[in-house]
Amino acid sequence: MIFRISWKNVWRSKKRSGIVIAAIALGLWGGLFAAGVMDGMGETMVNSAIERELTHIQIHAPGFRDEKEIGMVIPGADTVLAFVSGLPSVYAVTGRCIIDGMASSPSSSQGVMIKGIVPSAEESATAIRKEIVEGSYLDSAGSNAIIIGKKLAEKLDVRVRSKIVLTFQNPDGSLVYGAFRVAGIFQTASSQYDGLTLYVTQHDLFPLLGSSMIHEIGIRLASAASVPDVLDKVQKRFPSLEVLSWRELAPELKITADSTSVFMNIFLGIILTALLFGITNTMLMSVLDRVREFGMLMAVGMKRRQVFLMVMMETVFLSLTGGITGMLLGAGTIASLQRSGIDLSAFSAGLAYYGIGSILVPTVPTSTYPVLTVMIIATAVLAAIYPALKVIQLRPATAIRTY
Amino acid sequence: MPLIQLNGITKVYNQASIPVSALNGVDLRVEKLEFTAIVGPSGSGKTTLLNIIGGLDQPTSGTITIDGTDISSMKESSLVDFRLHHIGFVFQAYNLIPVLTAKENVEFIMLLQNIDKTEREARSIELLEAVGLKDRLDSRPSELSGGQQQRVAVARALASHPGFVLADEPTANLDSHSASSLLELMEDLNRKYEMTFVFATHDARVIQRAHRVVTIEDGKIKSDVMSAGSHA
Repeated sequence: MIFRISWKNVWRSKKRSGIVIAAIALGLWGGLFAAGVMDGMGETMVNSAIERELTHIQIHAPGFRDEKEIGMVIPGADTVLAFVSGLPSVYAVTGRCIIDGMASSPSSSQGVMIKGIVPSAEESATAIRKEIVEGSYLDSAGSNAIIIGKKLAEKLDVRVRSKIVLTFQNPDGSLVYGAFRVAGIFQTASSQYDGLTLYVTQHDLFPLLGSSMIHEIGIRLASAASVPDVLDKVQKRFPSLEVLSWRELAPELKITADSTSVFMNIFLGIILTALLFGITNTMLMSVLDRVREFGMLMAVGMKRRQVFLMVMMETVFLSLTGGITGMLLGAGTIASLQRSGIDLSAFSAGLAYYGIGSILVPTVPTSTYPVLTVMIIATAVLAAIYPALKVIQLRPATAIRTY
Repeated sequence: MPLIQLNGITKVYNQASIPVSALNGVDLRVEKLEFTAIVGPSGSGKTTLLNIIGGLDQPTSGTITIDGTDISSMKESSLVDFRLHHIGFVFQAYNLIPVLTAKENVEFIMLLQNIDKTEREARSIELLEAVGLKDRLDSRPSELSGGQQQRVAVARALASHPGFVLADEPTANLDSHSASSLLELMEDLNRKYEMTFVFATHDARVIQRAHRVVTIEDGKIKSDVMSAGSHA
């Protein structure tokens, strides 16, 4: 019955309770939305990088990532590709030949990263085909076609069908030249990547190099949850190769992914701390209005700890009502934006620098809601302490005669 | 053995600064089944005396024994329990819990006593029937008149099976019809439930019906008169 009385007491002053419930609800609504945008931004950054070229897992010869030596190829790459393709959680696999070189157009030259790919495999493992903004994607048969990043195209001042000469060293150290024609221009979420990268087919590249060579194998999984399992299997099968997950390949993304939820909880904690004072004030007003009633309760035999609990429960109910309303509003708003996202194209240039796309889909992990509920209850308990202490310090004989 | 026995009760407020003496050596015995009014002008000490009898305040000196138990030196936590099981309270301003119905208000005391639901319900209905509110079980205090609220308060006071009921100015907020009806009810309960009633009042209507009138002035008992026909 004490719980029932506490619940009913919340609604004694509908206006007063309504205001504090609205404050909590709006605070959490705004907080959840802002946290959702923050999380969405982090997730977009991670997903963009994975879709762009990172993939979930990469395989290299040991030392290649640091040295970028053309000779550091994956030995028996075809066997590795075949093994990985056969794993159940693997969605797509792509083998890449990666060479540093120089791209020259009639008007300019730029240092570039040349990626020799099998177009069909690369488009399955990454979103490169979708990111073509001008011209077309590569044809697997090869025709000395090349696709380049938009920013690189701007630097070289080339367009679709323009001619580009690539210069690079072959494995024996001789300089090799190859003339290519721009088939398409791509634009990813990262302007830095677009200013440095170009793709050609292995069909065209290998004859220039004099042999087939794969430096990197990218593995795209059906679900990111399978990363540890696949990583373990590949590492065990090819212990001499360097097999790394996206978290190890891009530690800055790992930090982003890991810290978002921490920042989200800190942010919501700050909002709840601000609300704490509002709740305390409301509860203080509420209990001071009922001094005579508390006097009566203690006079007739209600123990001080029971009175304390009653005030505590009242505050928890008040806060949870506002908190749940705020969480529902927040979750509803975030759910309604799942399809369309928030269009941030006005800031796309700035966002692209950080590898974030211009359509941002806010997300709040499901685990946030129970954490937030605990935080609301903790806030309510803290907010109730002072009013509840005021109440139990009353002397029943005096309190009964208070008007 | 008297139900209530006060020996040499004194109460001094503000002992550290300016001492104010509210009671100066009060001796009083109240027997079971009495219907006693403690009367006196404002500031005479009757409220202090009532608080001490009800275990809401401790005397500065002297002893108070309720049904053989000395409560004058009891700890606060034990006093709360003692009040819950031995004393029924009726207050001037009714002091019902506004969010509960009449029946729930009566049940509430029994809930504090950990009495099971079936017994709580049966007794609260019986008591509300006894105070003439059988048809208002589910009414909230705001839906009841002052007289009806005070009847609920009387039912609540009886719910815990107390040794006696202490009523502080129970008729002060009532019109004469409601006051008279309430007093009749208390007299009935005094007989039917063999319940001892002790009032603090300066209402002539209560004094007229009381079986015993204890007059207090300047913290001392000035007179103690048994009325004709009293059964105490």
